[in-house]
Amino acid sequence: MLQPNKHRHWPWIMAFVGAYALLSLVIDNDYYQRVMTIVLVWAVMGLSWNLLSGYSGLVSFGHAAFFGLGGYFVVLSQIAWQWSPWLSIPVAALIGAAAGLAIGSITFRLRGHYFALAMLAYPLALLYVFEWLGYQEVTIPRVTDAPAAYMQFHDQMRVYVFIGLGILVLTMMLSRFIEEHRFGKSLLAIKQDETAAEASGINTRAWKLRAITLSGAIAGGIGGFYAVVQLVVTPPSAFGMLVSAQALTVAMFGGVGTVWGPVIGAVTLVPLSAWLDARFAQDLPGIQGVLYGVAIVGVVLLAPEGIFWRIKDHFKRRGIDPTPGGQGSTQLDAAQRLSTQQTYDDPIIMRVRDLSKAYGGLRAVDAVSFDVNRGEILGLIGPNGAGKTTLFNLLNGLTKPDEGSIVFNGTEIVGAEPNKICAQGLGRTFQVVKPFRRMSILENVIIGAYVRARDDAEARTMAELALDLVGLADDAQRIAGTISNEQLRLVELARALAGRPSLLLLDEIFAGLSHSEVDALMERVKRLSTLGITIVIIEHTMQAMVKLVDRFIVLDHGSVLTQGTPSEVTKNPEVISAYLGKKWAENA
Amino acid sequence: MTSRKLAHMALLIASATLISVTAHSQTGDSVKMGLIVPLSGPWARQGQVMRVGAEMAIEHINETGGIHSLGGRPLELLVFDAGDSVERASNAAQRMVAEHPDLIGVTGSYLSSFTLAVSEVTERAELPMLTLSYSDLITGRGFNYIFQTSATGVKQAQDALPILMGLAESASGIRPKRIGFVMDSTAASVAFVKPMLEGNTLADNGLSLVVNETFTPPLSNAAPLVQRVRASQPELFLLLPTAVSDAKLLLEKLNEFGLGKGALPTISNGSAMGDPDLKANVNAEFLEGVMSIVANWGVRGEEALSQEYKQRSGEPWLTQNPICAYGHVWIIKTALEMAGTADKHAVAEAIRTMDISDGPARYFPGNRIRFDEHGRRIDAELLVVQWQDGEPKTVYPEYAAIADPIWPSR
Repeated sequence: MLQPNKHRHWPWIMAFVGAYALLSLVIDNDYYQRVMTIVLVWAVMGLSWNLLSGYSGLVSFGHAAFFGLGGYFVVLSQIAWQWSPWLSIPVAALIGAAAGLAIGSITFRLRGHYFALAMLAYPLALLYVFEWLGYQEVTIPRVTDAPAAYMQFHDQMRVYVFIGLGILVLTMMLSRFIEEHRFGKSLLAIKQDETAAEASGINTRAWKLRAITLSGAIAGGIGGFYAVVQLVVTPPSAFGMLVSAQALTVAMFGGVGTVWGPVIGAVTLVPLSAWLDARFAQDLPGIQGVLYGVAIVGVVLLAPEGIFWRIKDHFKRRGIDPTPGGQGSTQLDAAQRLSTQQTYDDPIIMRVRDLSKAYGGLRAVDAVSFDVNRGEILGLIGPNGAGKTTLFNLLNGLTKPDEGSIVFNGTEIVGAEPNKICAQGLGRTFQVVKPFRRMSILENVIIGAYVRARDDAEARTMAELALDLVGLADDAQRIAGTISNEQLRLVELARALAGRPSLLLLDEIFAGLSHSEVDALMERVKRLSTLGITIVIIEHTMQAMVKLVDRFIVLDHGSVLTQGTPSEVTKNPEVISAYLGKKWAENA
Repeated sequence: MTSRKLAHMALLIASATLISVTAHSQTGDSVKMGLIVPLSGPWARQGQVMRVGAEMAIEHINETGGIHSLGGRPLELLVFDAGDSVERASNAAQRMVAEHPDLIGVTGSYLSSFTLAVSEVTERAELPMLTLSYSDLITGRGFNYIFQTSATGVKQAQDALPILMGLAESASGIRPKRIGFVMDSTAASVAFVKPMLEGNTLADNGLSLVVNETFTPPLSNAAPLVQRVRASQPELFLLLPTAVSDAKLLLEKLNEFGLGKGALPTISNGSAMGDPDLKANVNAEFLEGVMSIVANWGVRGEEALSQEYKQRSGEPWLTQNPICAYGHVWIIKTALEMAGTADKHAVAEAIRTMDISDGPARYFPGNRIRFDEHGRRIDAELLVVQWQDGEPKTVYPEYAAIADPIWPSR
């Protein structure tokens, strides 16, 4: 989706619209015009769903809520105040946006399946509310003296095809704009790993709210247009499960996370369903539903990610190797440019005092106090379950401590959101790397740069510098799903670096790497330190650690056991018994 | 990719045209009318029985010489599936008028929301449509080509109380004085009861309200409601559940409390309360004595028709929907005879000016067919059916009744 050559979509969109309009002009049958209109309605509805769920991965079963509110508003505003749909459809979009914002601010407290199920509740609740209000059936009053002023073109259904095309183009343009910019990439980062996104400095809640607001606006608007075409609105036709399901089906069928997916889905499925109805309903009523289901299941089996991705993969495999040549600038140069950081006088970058976190009776982190000196590499070691990763989560705000204080660069950061802490210059990597597999390496890293970058161009420059620094510049365009474990770790490191942190928390970045790979990665970490980036690292590979770090902190049962230089710590009998073991003492 | 998709779609459309053209090129000189009802989805069964009713009428008409004023041209029925949604119903209607400009009339579409959507299309095509749907909105839009043969929802609500008082008096000789309501919160139930509770309607009929309970479906426990009913001792009890599961719970409890089998005159509204489907879900014993107010049913004098219908459809009795479909085809036949031409405008005009008390009029309660300027049948009356021996039988009014009402005489 996020091709380097980003403008090549426009000719395709224009060609599609032109061909569609031409087909509409050639056909002289109001039934086909109606089907063509409905194709556009569901394409736009699919795009609305895709804007939230396709990009961010937060599956919504509740888009009928926005659709239905828009539809009812258009009908009721004409009945009550004689509003023309030309006016009420844009207002319906605003209502959809408001509903999106309201629903989002409540529901984004939940994640994953819980979010999906909670979204299901809104249209169901609205369905009953509108039944209770007595709006079982409402119809748009027929206007005979000035039908065009009220968007009533039922004698020339073709006009609806053109209005629908207009809405579709606007929606596709909006979707493309989002795909190409920070908005879409932030949503993709959330889809990839919401925690990692937050830790990379993305304000996940704000982006999700923007997405559901825009998505609600599109659904509200198209729901209003649908009401105009259908003339009759009922609670099931507006808020029914089928509405949400149809939006989801066209997007899943055509391809999720791309502007073309819902369009392909609607262009294929809606006429297929109509044709099956026309062909079989009279003689074998009900069989059309079975065949429709079989067709969908068949495509899902053949192209699990949707038709678009299947076709794209097909051509990509046949096409040229996407690895670009290009000459990376020298790493030293990149390093110098990346290390232009604010200077502080305080030699201690972080002061941690009496930090505690308990889970029930388990004191995972217990009154931990230590300082991190500016420019050092600090190793955090201890047996499994000692509280190392919990401590990292407390430091970057993913977990709120029960008590204690963390002063980072002179600012208290306890209670701040992870993205705000990241923005203050604290980057981190995770034990488990989860890149968005369809994104290129460069795009993965750009996400980390947004926290500092003022615009997309600057983010790209910063990401390229970070890739240079970890030695991945030549692979920038490769798709993350195709690279080795070692490279994935470098991508993760680069993503953290792209935000230009002054303090970097590295969580077991050597895990699962071979000896030679560990040595190579260690050299890179050392070089980061020479650039003035302070590093705190969790690692079990002691041989590597003693060569790498300036100082150790040893954790055991949530408390600091001891701290000191590698030679001091490795000779400490307490450390040997708690963590290193007798074998270490014998070998040392 | 894009062009390929377009080609694909063009192919679909082309093949659809081809198939539907070949499917319908039958006898060239027949006069064509349409039946547009749900034949798939949750309402398919109702559509199927309406199709049986309409096909029976077509056969009867053609067996007796077709349309006489058109030299005996046969009447042909084209069937369209309104499906399971308003969108499908609209699509089917648009396809019907686009591909069959020679249709002279149509009947349908069971669910009032489908009828609304379909008639938006038929009105613009100036194609006369007959419907059994109740909603007042259908004939409240100022349309000229829609005709409603059932009493509308509002009229049913207004007429219900006088009918029930009449029924009680004719059955037991006593006018009830205490009335009770238990209903769900759906708008259909609320709308039916509203006119009875407004103003002094109850007092004017000499009734006092002793219990009035509204529940939100689905019901989990009917006992508290039924207990309140028993404690307040109404002499006339309106029970208005919409979901079969709620009806089942309530009826079981009523029987458990000794209020079943006609001990407490229990009246519902709508054909669903007399549908064979209900018997499959609720013990017939519990249904015994329960009444429902309906727009049409199998009545006295239709025994032969009822017998033929049962044989053809395999259904146990003749209900509102197939008898309406049967009658609608006959109304179109009569209009064609009056018009003397197979033209939809002339047929519509004939229906508008029709005033008959014989022929198809006997298939509709009130036994007279004439429509007002909205397209509502002026003389539309209601029937009361009552479950007796495992079958809902028409018990009121007397001219239509095939059984005497079971009513407690005190």
